[in-house]
Amino acid sequence: MAVPGILYFLVFKYAPMGGLVIAFQDYMPFLGIGGSPWVGFDHFVRLFTEDTFLLLLRNTVVVSLLLLVFAFPVPIILALLLNEVRTRAFRRTVQSVIYLPHFMSWVIVASIFYVLLSTDGGSVNNVIVAAGGEPVPFLTDPDWLRPLYVGQEIWKGAGWGTIVYLAAMTAVDVQLYEAAELDGANRLQQTWHVTLPAIRPTIIVMFILAIGDFLELGFEHMFLVMNSLNREVGEIFDTYVYTAGIQNGQLSYAAAVGLFKGLVGLLLVVMANRLAKRFGEEGVY
Amino acid sequence: MKKARIGTAVAAATALALTTTACGTSSDGGDGGEKNSLTWMTMLHTPTTPEKGGVIETALEEHTGMDVEFQWVPDASKEEKLNAALASGELADLVSLTVIDDTQVRSALTSGMFWDVEDYLDEFPNLAEIPDATLDAARIDGGLYGVPYQKPAARYGVVVRQDWLDNLGLEVPHTIEELTAVARAFTEDDPDGNGKDDTVGFYDREESFLVGFRSLAGYFGAGQKFEVTDDGQVVPAATTDAFKEAMEWYRDVYENGWVNQEFVTVQKQNQQDGIAQGKGGIVVTGLFEAKNYNALAQSADPDTPMEWALINDITYDGVERRILSDTNGGMGGWLAIPTTEVETEDELRAVLGFVDKLMDPEAFELMTNGVEGEHFEVDEDGVVTITDQTAWEQEVQPFSSSRPSELVTTFQSSDEYVNLGNELMAENTEYMVVNPAQSLTSETFDRQWSTIEQQLNDAYNQYITGQIEMADYEATIEKLRGQGLDQIVEEFSASYAEVNG
Repeated sequence: MAVPGILYFLVFKYAPMGGLVIAFQDYMPFLGIGGSPWVGFDHFVRLFTEDTFLLLLRNTVVVSLLLLVFAFPVPIILALLLNEVRTRAFRRTVQSVIYLPHFMSWVIVASIFYVLLSTDGGSVNNVIVAAGGEPVPFLTDPDWLRPLYVGQEIWKGAGWGTIVYLAAMTAVDVQLYEAAELDGANRLQQTWHVTLPAIRPTIIVMFILAIGDFLELGFEHMFLVMNSLNREVGEIFDTYVYTAGIQNGQLSYAAAVGLFKGLVGLLLVVMANRLAKRFGEEGVY
Repeated sequence: MKKARIGTAVAAATALALTTTACGTSSDGGDGGEKNSLTWMTMLHTPTTPEKGGVIETALEEHTGMDVEFQWVPDASKEEKLNAALASGELADLVSLTVIDDTQVRSALTSGMFWDVEDYLDEFPNLAEIPDATLDAARIDGGLYGVPYQKPAARYGVVVRQDWLDNLGLEVPHTIEELTAVARAFTEDDPDGNGKDDTVGFYDREESFLVGFRSLAGYFGAGQKFEVTDDGQVVPAATTDAFKEAMEWYRDVYENGWVNQEFVTVQKQNQQDGIAQGKGGIVVTGLFEAKNYNALAQSADPDTPMEWALINDITYDGVERRILSDTNGGMGGWLAIPTTEVETEDELRAVLGFVDKLMDPEAFELMTNGVEGEHFEVDEDGVVTITDQTAWEQEVQPFSSSRPSELVTTFQSSDEYVNLGNELMAENTEYMVVNPAQSLTSETFDRQWSTIEQQLNDAYNQYITGQIEMADYEATIEKLRGQGLDQIVEEFSASYAEVNG
């Protein structure tokens, strides 16, 4: 039964990793892996000695931390709120509506925000100007990039993220609520003392997974909201790999950057898992 | 729908007929047989791709005797698509390479990925006619790794809303000073008379540094990408005093709000929409564009008052009249043929034969005007009228930027903007400035230029929008000197000295 799964991982996940050897070569597409010269750790040396490295590390870590702090708890809070809704029809409708953004591609999300936030006829700025304010350059001001990015992540992902938590909440024994009610706990106390502890393992697993994705922000979203004016705070490893590799054709260097990012991600997962186990939770493996 | 089905049927029938003839003429058929189908990766400058097996495609197949499968690459993402295709080796039989400075394109060209076509050109009537100057511009390291695209040599100029000028009682500008005054008036004096502050002068886009502004900087005396200094150094135009002077002027324009303030986020399509909607009245662009802006505006509002003044003689201060060539003196890239896809000389000849036939007047007419009676009509004076604009835009226009030569004939059009544009572009040739480094060799340039240019581009945008000062822009240049810029200058200068004795 496991064969298709194993095959899938072998073919689509492990075999392509062989391509990572180009990080140690001066890869030329025409010569191929067999014919390109080997350069050892040259590309890594270049990465660690260039100014861009610190910039990339700073931007990636800051954005990741912001996501962890602001975006990660949102689905939990949302799920708790939904859990308290007693009218089935209302709850269903709200759920469906907040799932929707998940199914939109980043291109659509970025375009919607572009149309809303542009200073050249965007609705938000029209309102600001009508109220007597100065137009705000949301799309080009470096200070606005991170809030914008995190906000979009929440808008798109929070609703979908509630599914896991809502599922975990359905598993909570109803008797616990009844007992708590007999003890005189109000709704807020029930949530705090019954629901939250019950879904704690789920939260921890999700947290470990989130940490595993710590530097894995994905290139698409940032690439779409970034431009030359906010690149300074927007350029992250994923976009840099794309610019260096695909746009500027330095394939080997881009592979080295990607490999480094992957290694850091692996390290983080292992650490988070250890930590979880130390606190008496199950962890992911 | 019905038309489409007939089109498919014709295509199928043609294909069938072709296969039969091919089998009949070739000695053994099968693998060693004549090549009668090819794939072509080419750029799309329109929002939608033409229908597969559509009327133009079918007609071209009929004319060339070749079954063509087009792989359209949207022009906005051509760098990414091409680089990915080059890196993975997933190429078509014929590949349009229109980004001539791109690092990966150049290294692919010089690494032997494509056929050197030099020795074969003479076998084909149209290819043999390509002027030597164009061939020279197309050579890299002495090799001709593709058939050069032939374009009008200098297509750029400034187009200004004539109706707005009239509304405000202004004259058509011919100097930078006058142009600045017009930009101010278009922004502040309500040129469309709707009582709202909703217009700007210049309507620029993301590629300002590479396209619009570069052309303006040319009026200030900056070179086309590179220029040769008095002591024989070949330096990037963006590092010269003339370029910086132009930047200072443009920043002033920006600060005053006379250019759209968020141009760095504006894509080509948004720019065209914005212009059609009357948000801005000055565009630095190809002189052939006025017609397209009008068509777009008319499709939204048939009564649009839009009228354009086409200007090709803007000058600045004491600088002689000049215009940067946006097509490298008429060389718009290569139609390259990968050795991995087209393996034998016979197949290569078949592909070249196809390109050659596209330069026949019949094929040129198909890709320019479409099918007579369906898309256009010609009167007895030879004046071409596009009769079905929508059909033309969808079915014909996508092919026009893939014409191997745009110089086959110049049609007289019933659209005055087309004729005027053609006339002014022809006039431009006399004042044209080309890139002196075009056919020079620099290994560092081939490897590093994309990265360097991007950083210059970013610094330019930051300076214009007021994020950094001129000193910071100069600091960026200084930093780039250590990252290969100095080496590029050195290598180009050496190469220049060699060529010019």
